[in-house]
Amino acid sequence: MKKIINQPENYVNEMLEGLYIAHPDMITYTADDLRCLVTANKVEGKVGIITGGGSGHLPLFLGYVGKGMLDGCCVGGVFQSPSPEQVFNVTKEVDTGAGVLYIYGNYNGDILNFDMGAEMADFEEGIRVETVVAGEDVASAGPSAPGEPNHRRGVAGIVFVYKCAGAAAAQMKDLDEVKRIAEKAAANVRTMGVALTPCIIPEVGKPGFTISDDEMAIGMGIHGEAGIRNGKLEPADMIVEEILNKILPDIPYVAGDEVAVLVNGLGATPLDEQYIVARAINKRMEAEGIKVHRYYVGEFATAMEMAGFSISVFRLDEELKALLDAPAHTPFFKQF
Amino acid sequence: MTSEFLVKMLGEISAIMQENKEKLIALDSVVGDGDLGLTMTKGFAVAYETAAKGEADAGRMLYNAGKAMSGAAPSTMGTLMALGLMGAGKVLKGKTELVDTDLVEFAAAYLDAVMTRGKAKLGEKTFLDGFHPGVEALKAALAAGESLAEATAKAAVAAEEGFKAAKGMLAVHGKPAVKGEASREMDDPGACVAMLIWQAIAKAAA
Repeated sequence: MKKIINQPENYVNEMLEGLYIAHPDMITYTADDLRCLVTANKVEGKVGIITGGGSGHLPLFLGYVGKGMLDGCCVGGVFQSPSPEQVFNVTKEVDTGAGVLYIYGNYNGDILNFDMGAEMADFEEGIRVETVVAGEDVASAGPSAPGEPNHRRGVAGIVFVYKCAGAAAAQMKDLDEVKRIAEKAAANVRTMGVALTPCIIPEVGKPGFTISDDEMAIGMGIHGEAGIRNGKLEPADMIVEEILNKILPDIPYVAGDEVAVLVNGLGATPLDEQYIVARAINKRMEAEGIKVHRYYVGEFATAMEMAGFSISVFRLDEELKALLDAPAHTPFFKQF
Repeated sequence: MTSEFLVKMLGEISAIMQENKEKLIALDSVVGDGDLGLTMTKGFAVAYETAAKGEADAGRMLYNAGKAMSGAAPSTMGTLMALGLMGAGKVLKGKTELVDTDLVEFAAAYLDAVMTRGKAKLGEKTFLDGFHPGVEALKAALAAGESLAEATAKAAVAAEEGFKAAKGMLAVHGKPAVKGEASREMDDPGACVAMLIWQAIAKAAA
């Protein structure tokens, strides 16, 4: 293991302390718990939006707390769910009477802990909580039939859900309306990725799985979950082609559609390579007659030092486009 | 009936889990990782201890018990049982005096919370398949004018039948689902927990 850390067991809390030192104008914490992050700029009467999940994914989850996006976030240890108590504490702190929306990724541990936190908020404080669970990784499971549960994992595409719901809440829309927009955003985003190297949980000290030097894992999840296939590394254009061949038919995205595209580095892939990916995506989108309204390129949801990237495609209509374009200002997402 | 009955009931549940700890470990080892016996004994023991602290509001008492249980037994099954207690607490909130049919309210809310939060349906070889027949039997017996002791005894019998019927079902959730068709040969540990809960309720009402 080659990491710039101190004691592995202090990895998460020292990272959090650094964040609070660097961004005191935007974020703080509640309940004397570094892992219960809340906005430093609470807006009275606004629907509060909370997310959370395991650490090790920066900028996910806590990097999106700020103006125009989220109000609170609770994180657990690396790849571990936050506790119900933490969810409850953050809920109490961000609620200003308009209710709270939970938006998080589709993982069983997170679902149970957030549900439990919502029960506590309801029983002890009478706070109304609604939930939208995002799951858009097309490599993780097939599409779900109407009325059936979604088995797909939530990955980088959740940033679009945060952005649109956050903008709606900033416009002082009510909880039902913010939830509707979050659900609509979640229904219109699809993601798939590729990993080139594994990542190491600091307290474990060695990778939980291996990918050969000359291989890639197509469709791998951000905790190293198995994807679609492992194979020889191919040129960027071919990898992008394979990923879009899976993403585009899924909704489907068709000629005439307008979309936003998010290219997400998984942690160790340079921006140079991410822009080579963006170029390849654009070629394909032009060929398909799909108009790309905006590109976001950079790190949005990482797996520490994992190399690789993911592509998220977000289908827009006028409503989602306006919300996506609205300003936001958080430690890791700035748009003017 | 008062919230004292619910405390007694949780005491019986805690005791029956302790008596059946090895059985649950053995059942769970066939289909899962074998920790069910540990989480159920620990979880319900803490739930009982918390409930016994003397909270008069039946709903708040159940909620507190569930909350304590979730901290003590943070596995999926432990969390679901905790959510069951919390869900039941919500419907009984504010009550200090209970009538027999409040036990139906308790059981229906418990079932509903586990079903909703666990995102499972009846017939999928889970806790629900043991618990649901007990709720229905209790409701029918009380509606027919039977005593709480008679009604809960019938619920326990129905839950046992539910547990036996779950054996032939195909598992679709959690680790048992990995066994596929072979899961039809196996007892479901969750349904066994449900049967034990109804046996304990009957004992508390006897």
